[in-house]
Amino acid sequence: MLIEIIDVIISGLLNGSVYALMAIGLALVYGVTKAFNFAYGSFYTMGGYFAWVILVQMEIPGGYYTVFLTAIPFLFIVGFLLEKFLVAPLRKRDDWQMKAMMLTLGLALFLDIGYMASFGPRLKSLPDIVEGTLEIGPLVFMKQDLVIFVLSITGLLCFAWLLNNTRVGMAVQAVAQNPAGAQIVGIPKERVFAATFAISTIMVGIGGILLSQKNFVNPQASTGIMIKAWVITAFGGMGSIKGSLYAALIIGMLEAFVGYYLGMIHIDIAVLTLLLITLAFRPQGLMGRE
Amino acid sequence: MMLNIENLNAYYGQAHVLKDVSISANEGEVVVMLGPNGHGKSTLLKSLCGMVDKKQGRISYKDKDIIKLSSEKIVNMGITYIAENRELFPYMTVMENLKLGAYAKNARKHEKENLDKVFSLFPRLAQRKKQYASTMSGGEAKMLAIARGLMSNADFLAIDEPSLGLQPNLRMEVAKIIKEINNQGKTILVVEQNIPEIIDLADKLYVLEEGHITFEGSNDEAMSNQNLKEIFLGM
Repeated sequence: MLIEIIDVIISGLLNGSVYALMAIGLALVYGVTKAFNFAYGSFYTMGGYFAWVILVQMEIPGGYYTVFLTAIPFLFIVGFLLEKFLVAPLRKRDDWQMKAMMLTLGLALFLDIGYMASFGPRLKSLPDIVEGTLEIGPLVFMKQDLVIFVLSITGLLCFAWLLNNTRVGMAVQAVAQNPAGAQIVGIPKERVFAATFAISTIMVGIGGILLSQKNFVNPQASTGIMIKAWVITAFGGMGSIKGSLYAALIIGMLEAFVGYYLGMIHIDIAVLTLLLITLAFRPQGLMGRE
Repeated sequence: MMLNIENLNAYYGQAHVLKDVSISANEGEVVVMLGPNGHGKSTLLKSLCGMVDKKQGRISYKDKDIIKLSSEKIVNMGITYIAENRELFPYMTVMENLKLGAYAKNARKHEKENLDKVFSLFPRLAQRKKQYASTMSGGEAKMLAIARGLMSNADFLAIDEPSLGLQPNLRMEVAKIIKEINNQGKTILVVEQNIPEIIDLADKLYVLEEGHITFEGSNDEAMSNQNLKEIFLGM
């Protein structure tokens, strides 16, 4: 009984850690630009296909080391260029946040259909990052899960460190808190917007690699991821990074418990019920600022 | 001449806000801009600091044409804007706000010495390094905004209505501080008409009405202009 509960808690933590990595990227972009990036889920799929091309199609040696070392710059450049050429020009117009939402929605459809056209509708499987299990007393872990957990937490810690201890990180926070103030002190706002978009693309793309090797690379995965990331950011408070972190862990945990005790089929309904009740009483989410 | 603005036209959307505005400032001067609210004083300061996109004319600073430069380049050249509504970073501490004030490349090298200067000018901020900007009173927040501007190591400060939202006793303090900053060698362009002590400091005054400069003159000339005294200075 106790072992069961511990097992469920651990699986909740595992889910929560990857969700946190992905949702925080979305919260970051919203926090800084106040525009919602609907193409976010499609970068998750992009991460999966990127790994598949490297590992399976081109068989480039080095395994997942090569994948991560190349994926980070690749995702950064993709995010940066898309921001610079598609999103940034909208900022000169009135009500640009709404226009950005429309544009990223179009981008999402374009990318998803593009994956389907380029790689076909069938799911692709990636080799496991590691195989086998690890037993600690009565607890049995998939080594794969441990790697996902460790990499997600490492990613989150790196992100938190960058945000709070570097000049760029402080600049990002400054733009999020007061864009006019940031301009006054000489922060290059446009570059911060592009960098934020690019960093968030890395976060969700890496999430895509980690989860696709556990599940599959699926050309239609983006919708589910988008919904999950949105639920977490809305629950945590739009634009609040801390809120998204807590929300990701709470939702990861809720999913694990509901899945175990009530059945997988009830997971989404439980999560959405929690979201609706929260927003009914606290429309700004757990830690959002009104 | 340190700053020379010639025939500046600036627009907000469809509105033509500044119409052929020409002003200038010499090094070490205090230049005061008067005029009714909504007639373009803030737009003039913001245009100077690269914060208005649509504009034509000439703005030269230390003999360089800066009208097309981005705000971050202008800050780096030594012009800083201190906003009437302060524009602080609310969820950051006093110290973090000040450090971000020194974000520009040329300011970073002088961060330490400017921090010392700012704390000796505003001892109250030194006691509140860890306080969040959002929890400060109006007067303290105004001090922080001026202090953050000084952290940029600028030679030229464009200060927008420092008296806005301040109680009369604090206005005196603002005047003292502006005098002290000026004594340290900074050139100041200030939009202000509620602090007589600042008017006294002025080397030159301008009046901006409906986007046009309608008066330009020294302090004495302004004081002998009965109309101007009554309307803008309330004397």
